[in-house]
Amino acid sequence: MMTIIVVIAVILVVITASQLLKLAELRAKSKGELIYELTQKENKMQGLLLLLFFFAFMGFFVWQIVAWGDRILPVSASEHGEDTDFLMSLTLYIITPVFIITNALLFWFSYKYAYDPKRKALFFSHSNKLEMVWTIAPALVLTVLILMGLNNWNKITTPIAQEEEHILIELTAMQFNWTARYAGEDKKLGRSHVTLIEGVNGTGVDTLDPSSKDDKIVKGEFHLPVGVPVQFVFRSLDVIHSAFFPHFRSQMNCVPGVVTQFNFVPSRTTEEMRDITNNEDFNYILLCNKICGAAHYNMQMDIIVESQEDYDIWLAEQKGL
Amino acid sequence: MSTHQHHTKDFLFTYVFSTDHKMIAKQFLITGFLMGFVGLIMSTLFRLQLGWPGQSFEMIELFMGSWQEDGVMAPDKYLSLVTMHGTIMVFFLLTAGLSGTFSNLLIPLQIGARDMASGVLNMLSYWFFFISSVIMLCSLFVEGGAASAGWTIYPPLSALPQAIPGSGAGMTLWLISMSIFIMSSLIGSLNYIVTILNMRTKGMSMTRLPLTIWAFFLTAILGVLSFPVLLAAALLLVFDRSFGTSFYLSDIYIGGQVLDHTGGSPILFEHLFWFLGHPEVYIVLLPALGITSEVISSMTRKPIFGYRAMIGSMMAIAFLSFIVWGHHMFLTGMNPFLGSVFTFTTLLIAIPSAVKVFNYLTTLWKGNIKFTPATLFSIGLVSTFITGGVTGLILGNNALDINVHDTYFVIGHFHIVMGLSAIFGMFAGVYHWFPKLFGRMINNKLGSMHFWITIVSSYGVFFPMHFLGLAGVPRRYYTWSEFPMFENMIDINELISVFAIAAMIGQLIFFFNFVYSAFRGPKAPMNPWKANTLEWTSPVEHFHGNWYGEIPEVYRWPYDYSKVDKNGDFIYGEDFIPQTTPLGENEKDGGAH
Amino acid sequence: MPTIVSDNTHYKDEFRRKNSKPLLWIAMVSIVMFFGGVTSAVIVSQGGGGFIAIPMPIEFTISTIVILVSSLVFHYGFIAIKKGNYNLAKMSVLITLILGLFFVLTQYLGWVSLHDNGFYLAGKESTQESSFLYLITGLHVVHLIGGLLSLIVVLIKTFKKKYNAEDTVGMQVSLTYWHFLGGLWIYLFFFLRYSIA
Repeated sequence: MMTIIVVIAVILVVITASQLLKLAELRAKSKGELIYELTQKENKMQGLLLLLFFFAFMGFFVWQIVAWGDRILPVSASEHGEDTDFLMSLTLYIITPVFIITNALLFWFSYKYAYDPKRKALFFSHSNKLEMVWTIAPALVLTVLILMGLNNWNKITTPIAQEEEHILIELTAMQFNWTARYAGEDKKLGRSHVTLIEGVNGTGVDTLDPSSKDDKIVKGEFHLPVGVPVQFVFRSLDVIHSAFFPHFRSQMNCVPGVVTQFNFVPSRTTEEMRDITNNEDFNYILLCNKICGAAHYNMQMDIIVESQEDYDIWLAEQKGL
Repeated sequence: MSTHQHHTKDFLFTYVFSTDHKMIAKQFLITGFLMGFVGLIMSTLFRLQLGWPGQSFEMIELFMGSWQEDGVMAPDKYLSLVTMHGTIMVFFLLTAGLSGTFSNLLIPLQIGARDMASGVLNMLSYWFFFISSVIMLCSLFVEGGAASAGWTIYPPLSALPQAIPGSGAGMTLWLISMSIFIMSSLIGSLNYIVTILNMRTKGMSMTRLPLTIWAFFLTAILGVLSFPVLLAAALLLVFDRSFGTSFYLSDIYIGGQVLDHTGGSPILFEHLFWFLGHPEVYIVLLPALGITSEVISSMTRKPIFGYRAMIGSMMAIAFLSFIVWGHHMFLTGMNPFLGSVFTFTTLLIAIPSAVKVFNYLTTLWKGNIKFTPATLFSIGLVSTFITGGVTGLILGNNALDINVHDTYFVIGHFHIVMGLSAIFGMFAGVYHWFPKLFGRMINNKLGSMHFWITIVSSYGVFFPMHFLGLAGVPRRYYTWSEFPMFENMIDINELISVFAIAAMIGQLIFFFNFVYSAFRGPKAPMNPWKANTLEWTSPVEHFHGNWYGEIPEVYRWPYDYSKVDKNGDFIYGEDFIPQTTPLGENEKDGGAH
Repeated sequence: MPTIVSDNTHYKDEFRRKNSKPLLWIAMVSIVMFFGGVTSAVIVSQGGGGFIAIPMPIEFTISTIVILVSSLVFHYGFIAIKKGNYNLAKMSVLITLILGLFFVLTQYLGWVSLHDNGFYLAGKESTQESSFLYLITGLHVVHLIGGLLSLIVVLIKTFKKKYNAEDTVGMQVSLTYWHFLGGLWIYLFFFLRYSIA
């Protein structure tokens, strides 16, 4: 019933609008005008609207920063994240004025140079000098951003040296949860393969491999000691997933058939972060960030960063296979 | 002495199987817009879910059926919607709809040719597009639903029906549809390239071509070089899915069993896909930029500033677009050095893009601007190109991409440059060349209403997404209610969804205006915008061959607007000089300086 | 419908003569990119670890000789047409067609030989290398079928004396495409020998 009413209403609106348009055209014709010719008044109005839009747009931009600026991620919880955040801020400080000034010129010119039959436009077709200026200026800025970015990237993507003190964790992704496996005292992870998956051994650890004897399997929530580098290796059992640790400024795809790696040094404990964010319930989190199936939106694992002592106590309680 | 021939063709050959480029342009436009409308409805639907997660929308269950049981969208159907929305908008609306329409309409008319190099191939190009559209829409109704692995369809998710239902029959139809679509695109591009190189009228040198033609030319070259690689990617995927090969699959345990596939890598798919995927976004964008050059120039009554720089920057963008694809793959575990190379090349693309923006601004400066809806959308394109473009500097920088990859930051970026800039270019083209397409004028008031509603609400939809991305919110999430850390974002989502509904309503105004004006709009004069290019010298009514008698000869470049003599008066008395006007005694051609 | 001056309707023939070959050239560029994509896939796949070598069937070497000879024969026929020698042309095109069919046969026999030696296109016992070998040669055959169809058209037209010294565009298009298929095969043959064999 409702549908029929809506359909009829729509048809009536369309018919009315059509008639109104035809009327407008005939009215203009009777005045000796063409309806499709823009009048001076209409044209100037559009110019003004464009200028007003610019201010509204900038207002909207500022309002968003004020309203939501504090909702973006808090300060970095990893060491390399401090450098990444610095580069991000720098880039934002460069692009924001560019964004504002070019939009300002665009809408100002539109307003100022609205059509005036008494004026002639300026026949200014090219200037090699100007082209050079605005080719070289962006190139210089970009060179700085590129060099800083690459420097950052190299530091981040270098695996931790074997001899350096670190924790080694394998994160296995599957539809729709994560399993963490800590390398034990021997600092080595035992071999694993999908063909060895059976029962409790959900990630296919090779129990015959001596290195896997002291590995610890952790689900639901995993812990890290503050200040100690952690080397992750990532696997997936079924489809591509992505291990996203937003607070630690870290992310790496988990690809079936391939082992990927990433590392970082946690620099703030969960307690510290709870203070900083003023939120008793805050927790670091690992989420899946590559479309992986129906429950992609709920594939997570909590991360607790704590002091070395607390971490050791927690680790002792974890079991192997 | 000429013999007159009476040309009567039946309905089938005039309207359905036409080989006339103008009719084919209209066919591409209508089909493109119809598909675009489907994509628009899809986005409105999933914005309803995102704005009001888990809310029951009884009315929608009426036509969504099992996709919205009890009025609530199912999570895997949500993924189908975002997948199909992306596929339809990128390929069917913004590639076929945009290039197919304007390349077909304008190439023969602006270069001075009777028709495209091959009318038959052109017709086939459209019909393949039509068939692929039908198949793509059919995939919505098969068992398991439509493809749901994202428009990027990475395997193994897209290869295994056990991983998500849409990867069954729905994905198969998707692949068939896209293979036919690729054929359509390739056949079309062949025509565009050969016509532009081979069929220009007397006097129409390459440096007297309007920038629209340069844009369509480079776009077609991009297509010819990159779409075949997508075909290769799709073919290998077909084999993995249906014939038991292992190009992309290896070591998979799913549904309680280990699959037989060994040795393959999903990363191979990503390389092949993005080798097309990146040039594809420039295939979408370049025609819009070309249209903007044309509209801004003729509507400001000024030559486009830096004609040669514009061509050069389009060439640079086209060339660079082939060596940046890895920036979609920074986090796949690729060799870090390779990642650095891609950052370098990606940030380089910012330079020609910036040059274009500055040239547009300089064209507007000291102009005399008429704000038709086409002009408004072109100005909107420049604004959105700037806004969307600058965030590319963050995404292209590998170190920064780590934390924004696959978040809403990316969605904000690519929608502003594609979903706003490119579609604004398409709208500008439709408004500007409406008289050429339908012989009638489209209504200005409704057009400007359309523009204002669209630009305000679209910025309202996509700008906030940058904040969501910086807060770590991932894309392709059905709901955020599982994460306490995103709780304070839900109201942002609601605001976005409200803007999205407003944007959708704005498009209804456009559709009404379009249909009404095509049938009942005031009849158009031959050159309503007093523009210089050749298409405005061909009669309003459509017939094969475009010009009665000889094709006009061209003597100058297309940008002699407001050209003055030593006394500051317009040469020839008007603020425009058509390309068909011979050069005066001491006059130099602006294009060859 | 307005009456139209003859100038703007009689352009179909001029278009055909002017545009057929350029259209083919661009299409060939696309085909090259397609095979480029597939052969790059081979190289990328190999990057993970070496392939197990698969000996190329001798039948493929015969294929190579056959297709090269066929190009020579076809070209000979083309020269004949330009001199007005229809009978020679008819023979040449016919022989080219037969050789083309023979090429397809040798390909098929090559696949049979691979299968008999335990190399499969798909399934549990296949490897990436074997899959690629079948797929790449198969894709070439698919494109060759297009060439065979164009040969049939050319054969019919030659019989009907549709070509003369001034207008051989149709045959040129088919000839160019046929040479292209030969060249493509040479590239693929040596590529496969180098990467998989």
